[in-house]
Amino acid sequence: MEVRVHRLCEVRRLGEKDFVLELEGPFPTVRPGAFAMLSLVRDWPCLLPRPFSYFDLREPTGEVREEGPVFGRGSFLVKVVGPGTAALTSAPPGSRVRVTGPLGRGFPAPMGGKEPVCLAGGVGLAPFLLWARERAAAGAGPIPLLYGGRNARALVGREEFEEGLVDWRLATDDGSLGSRGTVLDLYRRLVGEDALDGEAPVLCCGPEPMMAAVAAECRNRDLPCMVSLETVMACGYGVCNGCSVEVRGRDRFEGARYAKACVDGPVFDARELRW
Amino acid sequence: MKDRLRTHLLPGLVLENPLLSASGCFGAGLEGASTGESGILGAIVTKTVTLRPRAGNPPPRIFETSGGLLNSIGLANPGIESFLERDLPGALALGPPVIVNIGGETSGEYAALAERLQDSGAAALEVNLSCPNVQGGSLPFSTDPDACRRVVSELRRATDLPLFVKLSPNTHAVVEVACAAVEGGADGLTLINTLLGMAVDWRRRRPRIGMGVAGYSGPPVKPVALRIVHQVRRAVGVPILGVGGIQSAEDVCEFLVAGASAVQIGTAWFTDPRAGSWILSRLERLLAEEDTSVDDLVDSMGKERRSGRGHGCA
Repeated sequence: MEVRVHRLCEVRRLGEKDFVLELEGPFPTVRPGAFAMLSLVRDWPCLLPRPFSYFDLREPTGEVREEGPVFGRGSFLVKVVGPGTAALTSAPPGSRVRVTGPLGRGFPAPMGGKEPVCLAGGVGLAPFLLWARERAAAGAGPIPLLYGGRNARALVGREEFEEGLVDWRLATDDGSLGSRGTVLDLYRRLVGEDALDGEAPVLCCGPEPMMAAVAAECRNRDLPCMVSLETVMACGYGVCNGCSVEVRGRDRFEGARYAKACVDGPVFDARELRW
Repeated sequence: MKDRLRTHLLPGLVLENPLLSASGCFGAGLEGASTGESGILGAIVTKTVTLRPRAGNPPPRIFETSGGLLNSIGLANPGIESFLERDLPGALALGPPVIVNIGGETSGEYAALAERLQDSGAAALEVNLSCPNVQGGSLPFSTDPDACRRVVSELRRATDLPLFVKLSPNTHAVVEVACAAVEGGADGLTLINTLLGMAVDWRRRRPRIGMGVAGYSGPPVKPVALRIVHQVRRAVGVPILGVGGIQSAEDVCEFLVAGASAVQIGTAWFTDPRAGSWILSRLERLLAEEDTSVDDLVDSMGKERRSGRGHGCA
């Protein structure tokens, strides 16, 4: 992890409460699903920084490190939910943003087998742009991505993805865009129609009730399912034990009752979690 | 002039600078080292270790409120055997002296921990008598002078490592308890542990923290910590490690002047993982500007400004 102060280039509004925060680099290559802790250097209204998944990395600088190229631009998908996210998204260009990262374990790269199906809800879309690019680079795109939200206005951010990266399947609660119902309803329907591989592993990021429902579905279907948790965090790098989540004490946790979302996650095999 | 930063805690324990990690805010050493800050510390204080492993408290464990942080971690740790085998060697390799923080439920547990750590390479022990987040835990040792004297005496018999006893602010008798700790054989004191606090989600009619009450830290507790450091320093002659809401080099100087011989950084690291480096470089500059040193600042508040209460132990 690095602690670095970045210049805020642009805040792009995607929807009512959703923004892309674009920062000047350098940013290292990260695993899709890795996160960073962000705060404003000045006029930060909170004590603690806030965790966000890396959304996009662009403009390679030419420098290449062990983990991959270094990028000149990095961005984060931010939904305004409180004073910290409000301050970040209303900061003027040129503001200094402290970024501690990359942190956490992202989605593991597929070790052969079937191409994973991705399910995103709301700002849970964030890790899937880097995922889609990685899969495209591996010759596997476009990836199946089921994206759900309350209504058409909630399904923001698709325009941030390059053409051809994703095979989009949309669902809204009110049917205003895509099929009516939840993203899980959509998944079941597509699998039932053979429009989606019902034996492929599932990657999921979204609100916790959605992820719990998807995890239960995968358990019933005996499918591997990786979920990316969002928890309150203080440090983000493993010292405070504040973000602990209850786990099933499998091998990785040596029988422990809790794991740290920040360093053991935020991406977990759903079977490791108790929920 | 590096000497400006040096602090003479005890005859055998001279630290290169007065910045220490607060227990629980630097992990067992290696976790905290991911900040890149381990090399700059005067000493590393590790997270409380207990005899047996502890899973910790049910989440949610933390909540940011009113400029500070509530936590109820519950002393989650792998237990002394795993600590000695896996954690301490890595912490010792970081460079600065390592002060191991220990916690127990009985005086016998504390003594057993001290014996296990006697020849471990630890420079000193910090005795957590004051975790607010453990049921049936150590808090009585930190609020009842007699209980405090007994547990520290037993520890004193168990080890000749320097003992820094970490006390709770959650008592009206903190000076009396501090005196009892020194009578029991404490070489120094750490002041203060977190303040008991609470946050409420009124719409859901429930507390924000899984255990209900929690320990409060961060900038809002600084005045309380300064007051207690000062009151206790007026009463006892042993070195004090001051802790509570320190965010800047100026804060460090305030604690030194009020009576601390060194300070601990905790919550500030969560705001900025490089907080220790920033504070230390600014502290060095401040001391140079004033042409003074840490040792000169310690307990240097003018007599006329001193608190009138608590001169000497009863």
